[in-house]
Parts: sequence; C-alpha cells; structure tokens
Amino acid sequence: MRAEEIRARRRLMASRGAKQTFTYVGIILMSIWAVFPLFWMIIISLKERIYTYDPSVWIFQPVFENYVSVFAEKNLGKFLINSAIVSLSTTFLALFFGTLAAYGFSRFKVKRMRGLMFFLLAVRMIPSVAIVIPIFVIARFGSMLDTRLLLIITYMIFNIPFTVWMMKGFFDEIPKELEEAAKVDGCTTLQTLYKIVLPVVQPGLIATSIFCIISSWNEFVYALFLTSIKSVTTPTIVQMFLSIQGVAWGEMSAVGTVSIMPVLLFAMIVQKNMVRGLSFGAVKG
Amino acid sequence: MSNGVSIHTDKRATSRDLHNTRRYMPFVAPAMVVMVLLVAVPFIAVVLLSFTNYELAMPADSFKWIGLRNYDRLLFGTNKLLYYSLGISVGMMVVATVLQMLIGFFCASLLNRDIKFRGLAIACLLVPIAMTPSIASQIWKLMLNAEFGVINYFLKKLFNFSVVWLDKDNSLPSVLLVNIWSMTPYVTLTLYAGLRSLPLEPYESAVIDGANGRQVLMYVTLPMLKPLILLTLLFRSIDMLKMFDVPYVLTQGGPGNITEFIGLHIYRTGFGVTTLVGRASAISVILIVLVGIISLGMIKLMSSEEKG
Repeated sequence: MRAEEIRARRRLMASRGAKQTFTYVGIILMSIWAVFPLFWMIIISLKERIYTYDPSVWIFQPVFENYVSVFAEKNLGKFLINSAIVSLSTTFLALFFGTLAAYGFSRFKVKRMRGLMFFLLAVRMIPSVAIVIPIFVIARFGSMLDTRLLLIITYMIFNIPFTVWMMKGFFDEIPKELEEAAKVDGCTTLQTLYKIVLPVVQPGLIATSIFCIISSWNEFVYALFLTSIKSVTTPTIVQMFLSIQGVAWGEMSAVGTVSIMPVLLFAMIVQKNMVRGLSFGAVKG
Repeated sequence: MSNGVSIHTDKRATSRDLHNTRRYMPFVAPAMVVMVLLVAVPFIAVVLLSFTNYELAMPADSFKWIGLRNYDRLLFGTNKLLYYSLGISVGMMVVATVLQMLIGFFCASLLNRDIKFRGLAIACLLVPIAMTPSIASQIWKLMLNAEFGVINYFLKKLFNFSVVWLDKDNSLPSVLLVNIWSMTPYVTLTLYAGLRSLPLEPYESAVIDGANGRQVLMYVTLPMLKPLILLTLLFRSIDMLKMFDVPYVLTQGGPGNITEFIGLHIYRTGFGVTTLVGRASAISVILIVLVGIISLGMIKLMSSEEKG
C-alpha cells in the first residue's frame, strides 16, 4: 500500500514536471516567434551592406551607416516630425471631444444612448480603405490633399469612437458621490468634471491617449492615399523601398527600428491597460 | 417596485432625468456632430461616386452619372475579379480568424498557468502590436525571401529544404502567416485578461465534482468566457476583412492577382492599375455592405447570448 502510494505520487510529480516543461517550452517559442522580426530588423539595420543578404552572419561589428543615411538621404526626420504632429494633434482633439461625450454618456440618462454607442461601435467596423476614396475626392476639390490637417481630421474617425468607449468605462467606475459632494459645494458640472473627475481618471486618460497615438502613428491606408510629398508620415516610407530590385534593406530596417521605439515604449507603459484598449474598452484590464 | 420608498425614488429619478435632458447635450453633442460629419459626408459621397464614371485625371465637372453601370460591370461583367477578391478575403477572414482564436486561446491558457517571467512574455507579445504593420510586413518580405531570407536559412539548416514563399502557390499562405504573427497577440492578451478575471468558485466546485481538465474547459471556462470570445471574434473578423497593409507591402496583390484582397482591389482599381475612381467607389460600397452584414449578424448573436 505504502509503496504504491509513493509510486503514484512520483508519477503525479513526473507528469506535473512534464506539464511544466511543456508550458515553458510553449511560452519561450511564443515569445521568440513574436519578437523575432524586431530582433532581425535591428540586426539588419546594424549590418554592413555586404552582409545584408547573408543570413548566416550573426556576429559582426555593428555599424550605424544605415541610420546616418536614412536621416541624411531619405529625410526620415521629416516623416517623423509629420507623424508626431499628426498623432499628437489628432489625439488631443479626440480626447477633448471623446472625453466630454464619454462623461455625458456615463453621468446622464442620454436619450437613445444604446443607439449612439452602437453607432460609434459601427464606425470602428468601417474599413478605412472603403471610405478613403470619397475623402480623397472631397479633399482634392477642397485643396486639402497632402496636408497634415487632413490627416489630423481623418484620424478622428477612429480615435473619437475609441476614446468614448474607453473613457466611458473609466467614468463608470467612479462613484457618483464624489461629484455630488462637489455640486453641494456649488461647482457647475463642467467645473466638477475639470476639477474633481478628470484628476481621478488620469490613468485612463493616459492609457487612452497613448492608444490613440499608437494607432495614429502606425496608420497606413489614409496616409498612403491622402499624402504625397509634404505631409508624408513614417508608415508610408515603405513606398520608397517597394521596388523588388535593390531594396536598401539596411536603411529600411533602420527606419523601422527608429519608428517602433517610441511606440514600443508607450506600449510598455500602458501594458496594464493594453487589454482594455484592444477590446474597445469592453474588458476591464 | 411595490413599496412606497422605491416609487418615491423613481419619481425623483424621473424629475432629475427631465432636468438632465437639457444638460447632457453640451457634453455629447460636439463629439456626435463631429462623428456624423466625418462619417456621413464620405459615406454619402462614396455612394454618389459609385454612380459616376469619375476617373482620377478628370476635371471636376466632366464626369457623368451612369446609374448602376459600375455595379452591373462588377457583378455581371466578364471580369470576375470582384468575386475572386471577395472570395479570398472572406476565406482569409475565416481561416485566419479561426487560427488566431485557437492559437491565441492556447497561448492565453499557457500564460494563465503559474509561471515565472510572465511579464517578460507579455512584453514580447506587445512587439507585433507595436510594430508599424507596413514596416513589419516589409521586414517579413526580407525574412521570407527565397534566396537570402532568414526563414529559409533556418529551414535549410534544420530540415534541409526551402520554400519559395512569395510565388503563386505560397503567397496566400505567406500573407496568412504574417497575419497570424501580427494579430494573434491581440487575441492572446484579451483572452488572457478574460481568464484572469473569471471567478474561482465554479472551478472549485468542478474539482469537488471530480471533473477532468477537458470537462473543466468545456463546461466551466468556455461558457464563462463566451461573451469575450464572441467580441474578440467580431473584432478579428472585421479587421481581417479590412486588411490592407500586409498584402500591399508583402505581395502588392501579386503574383498576378492571386493576393488581390478586396481592399487591394479597391486600391488597384481606383489608384493603381487603373484609375476608375467611380468603379472603385462601387467596390467600396459593396465592401461596406458586406462588413455591415457580418458585424450585424455577429452582434445579433452576441446580444442573444447575453439574454440567455
């Protein structure tokens, strides 16, 4: 009896150990798979040009000629500045309009609220490639093509619905008593929002804005159709590297590495709220 | 609601609501006006454009109304490219979404186990989400290159064979592969958070009842996670249908038209191979209708689940 018990326990331990090994192998494979393109991009960006086409070279003296060249010859600085201006401006506007609306939806009995929230969800579903043509035509007649303002306005199409859904979730979590106390003290609703509520939802505001910045920073379809020379943003720089022959892979990778750094940093900051953003605020992260 | 107290509070609530109807407008109205303008104007314009023969090079006043001719050409013409594009887009949507959900759920349940370095693993998963899709696709194009790509380098080293990834037979699977890389982390992280938020009691009683691992998954985990799974399914499906960046960079729709997904079909018709903006608008309208049907269907499914 006793010996059998020990044997059974050993078997259990062994299977538990096997399960744990399996888990770690799975996690490690998953992590390597997810990170590898970034790793490879950085490797390529640091290689000398002669090694770009040789994947067997893993250890080499890193050089920065690609980074120098994308700023000097490909004018990466202009792309980055445009991306930064567009992303920050559209995020600011979306946050202004979206937070106000989210507060309204959260605190008042808004008529047809379900319908309005559903409308915003439906906007999330509209393929940008399906409405970019009319935007292009309208902008063309209004002489707005290739301006940063056009991108800033267009990006509000996806940033405002996102902000409303996200911020409504954050507002819903705040107890109403907080504001009622402020109202007793004679604050108007707007003052209450500004002085009492916004400081409390600050983490939500930061998470939402970083999400808006990331999706604007990476946006490709609108930028491809609506810009050409002056207001090009970083994602469209791939246009310069599309030719099959003689793609400057090293420079391409240097562009990618520079471009991902701010976003990756932001993503790490909002890691806790990441899920909330990915699911349009539906899941409390 | 039968006792006096609640009737009393109800009355107070309604009087406050009447008061509120006047007060929520300044909060809600600006955003809604902006959104309606930003969506309705292009939406009406794309429908109008789809009834014209407008081309990119035309001056503003020289296009003609041609009624339903664009739709007629697209749906009943000799060129069946629209059906091919819709076919591969819907096919890619189904295959990619199913794979993303399965792999994502598997990875999420791995993450949910009692492991060390979980934060590091999650940080790794953020990389595909953060990388600019167009640039990431370009890097994948290099990695998948038949001669000097690192994927074939590994395949040769480990299994002594190589694949021509972007030729006519393999370009669709290659697009699928890149999509799975870039989108699965969304599913993984969402479902992982869902698993974390589940209550523990049902698991405890399942263990007491002697349920095995598979039974716990089928009768405890999945039913509780169902609303979140359906929501993720909705977002992933529609995002796959919208896909543009990956094939645009990876294959440009080629070789030939093999990877010309519906988004690329719009681009190539209106701005690339031909400049038939009118006809591209008609394809856009068809795509919007398709997206509308699919998302409405899935939202119906979700709300019927919610009710029970």
